[in-house]
Parts: sequence; structure tokens; C-alpha cells
Amino acid sequence: MGLLIPLFLWVAIPAVLFAPPLPLRSLSSPTESNPVTPTPAPAQEVRESEEEEEIRKPVEEKVVRATLPAAHTPAKHGETDGESWVAQRTMVEDYCGWGWIKKDKESWRQARWVALEGTAGICPLPHTFLPRPEDDKNYQYRFYGTFAPYRAYEPQADVWVDVFILKGFMSLGPAKEEIRRPPPAQASSGVNRFAERGANFR
Amino acid sequence: MRFLVIVAGLIFVSLPLQAHDVVLISGGPALRSFEKYKKASHDKYWGNFIDSALTRAEELKKDLKPGDEIVWLVFRPSYTSRAAEDQQDFLKIIEERGGKVGLTPTYFDNKSQLFALLRRDGSKEKPRISRLEYFGHSNKKCWMFDYSNRVDGGALEPLVVHVDDLEKITGSSFTSNAECVSYGCHSGEEFSQRWRMIVGRPMVGAVGKTDYSEGGMPKLSNGKEGSWVY
Repeated sequence: MGLLIPLFLWVAIPAVLFAPPLPLRSLSSPTESNPVTPTPAPAQEVRESEEEEEIRKPVEEKVVRATLPAAHTPAKHGETDGESWVAQRTMVEDYCGWGWIKKDKESWRQARWVALEGTAGICPLPHTFLPRPEDDKNYQYRFYGTFAPYRAYEPQADVWVDVFILKGFMSLGPAKEEIRRPPPAQASSGVNRFAERGANFR
Repeated sequence: MRFLVIVAGLIFVSLPLQAHDVVLISGGPALRSFEKYKKASHDKYWGNFIDSALTRAEELKKDLKPGDEIVWLVFRPSYTSRAAEDQQDFLKIIEERGGKVGLTPTYFDNKSQLFALLRRDGSKEKPRISRLEYFGHSNKKCWMFDYSNRVDGGALEPLVVHVDDLEKITGSSFTSNAECVSYGCHSGEEFSQRWRMIVGRPMVGAVGKTDYSEGGMPKLSNGKEGSWVY
């Protein structure tokens, strides 16, 4: 024991004396380091070189579309064999999705609202052939492809909608009438099932 | 004996503090081919969530404790598709911009990968998270990494962290005093509260919309009485 104490002091005292200084928690004011309500600093405060500012400026829009020489939807595009659906483009303001889709024998009342996903290199969305997305409103198509195993989230109405992966399409021309049925509107999740249990520590 | 206790205490205090990670998450931009003609058109500039995260990283570096690191997680697929649309190599630009503040992006392609990246055990390889901040599209229910990118006006299920997914993030991955912030729209209206309940750490989120259009850190949108809440 008599030897242990000097040995301990021989090790401990240099460790204390030569230890690096403890880091300061923050050099800025308390409101900056631990904000109750974060107040993001304006971008101007971060001075950048002129070159950097130049890089970060938004570039002029260059939207590349699968445009044809004439702005019209092709009669046929992509892989047009196999199972098919009849689809009608329906636009709902601030709502995710492309429109309604149904099998031949079904009525439009049985149609499903879908978000449409193109297939890279095979088939883009039909409206990308047109100047504006709304230019094929109430047009009908024959769609070839599959329903995706995942859904899409519609953030305005807080709903999940089906996703159709488009492999090909045939243009059927303008529909006889607009589909006025509203798209789905159920909530994406029920009541908070965690409300009465503790946090997720494990 | 008292001297020994004091010396031992001083040694304990002088030991290097355990390192932690500060995690910044950048979601992806929308495609202009979906957004260009909309009244509320998103992401005219592709790099909103990149520049804001890097601006924040520069701020946080000033207060970083010794050993702590900033980990920058970037949702890759949306930048790849936007790059094809704009005909620019955005991943290269992201890496160059990150390099200027000493950060290398860690890419993730879906929420499963993100959950794996957020799973920490406090070891040297997987230090706990002392701060987490999100820059990207969101609403009150979820973070949407690919909003209006693969489907018009929405986000695909594997690329959305919905409040029902939060049980996949464990509180033990965070330090006991970890601070979390979501700079997306509407997070403070439900997502923050669910995060606190399920993950067990407070998260600051916006009531109302956030605006990235002026560059740098996002601001609460003008016109509505927005606020930041826990």
C-alpha cells in the first residue's frame, strides 16, 4: 500500500497537469447554442467568395422533355403488349396522382386513382410529350405495365395512393366526359398508438 | 486520502469525453418537369437542401466538441434524376461543396438505409447522436425525400419517413440530451410530437411552411403566422 500511493501520484499528477483544457460548451450566446426556437442565420451572414456565390445562384431552368418534333402525344409508345388498363387523365389541384385507371370490363365507378411512375429508358409519362402537364387533361389512354408493390404518399390529403408503373401506352383520344368522382381521402394513419406508452428505448 | 480522492476526480474529469455524431440529413429536390407549371412550384433551385445543410454545418463546426464529427447524409436518387433533367453532375457538385466545409456526403437511397445509418450503440464505430437536423420536404406526418420526383406531387412509400415508421428509430441511438430539428414544412404540427413520444428526444419543427428560396438556412414562410415548436 505504501508503494502504491506514490506510484499512483507519479502517474496521476502529470496526467492532471498536462491534460488538455476542457472544451468550452459554446463560444456563442446561450440563445444561439441552445435555441428554444431556432432562428436560422440569414444566408448573407456567411460570407462567400464571389466564385462560390456564382455557383450557388439558381441556374436558369432547363427542363428536358421527351419532346417530339410536333407537340402531341404519340399514338403508341413503349412496350404495348400484355395486360392492359384503360386510363383517364384527371387533374386535381394540389393532389398527388395522375388520374383514374380501370380494366376494360369495369365501370369508371370501379376505377382506381393512381400515381403514375414512368420507366426510365422505356416509357415516360404521356404528358411529357406535351408542352404542359395539363394539356392531356381528360384524355384517355390504354396503359401497359404493372401496379407497384409500394404506394405513394399524398401530402395534401394525407393519404396513400396506388402507384402504376407505366411500360407503354396507346393514345385513345379525348374522353366523352370528365370523371368528377373525388380521389381517395382517408387518413394515412390512425390515432396515435404511442400516446399511452413510453419512448422507444431498446 | 482526501487528496487521493481529489486527484482521482481530477483524472476522471480530464479523461477525453466520449465522441458523438452530429447528423445532418439532406432530402432531395423535385423535378421541374412536374413542378414548373404549378402555382406553388417547388425547388426551382436544385440545391436548397444541400446549401442549407452546409450552411448549418459551418455554424455547428464552431461549437463542435473534440472528437465529435458531423455526418452528412444525402438522399441520392433525387439528385441523380434531377441531374439527368438539368444535364449537370449534381453528385459531383455536392461532393465539391461538401469538401469546402470538410464534409463528405454519405448517400442513402431509401428509408431502410437511413434507419441503418441512424442505428447507434455508442461504440467508437457507431457513436451516439448528439444532434440531428433534417433539411427537405415534409408535411405534418412525414419527411419526404423524393417529393415530386418519381411521382407528381407525392413521394413513394419506401422514400418517406412516416410517423408510423418512427418506431424503427431507437432513442438509445441518441445521447440523453440530444437535440433534433426538422427544417421541413409543418413538422411541428405532429411529426415533432410523435418523434418526442416514440424516439424520446425533443424535436423542433415548424408550424406552417418553411422557405428555402433565399438560400442558406430556411426561414418560416411569410404571410402565415408560423412558429418553431417542440
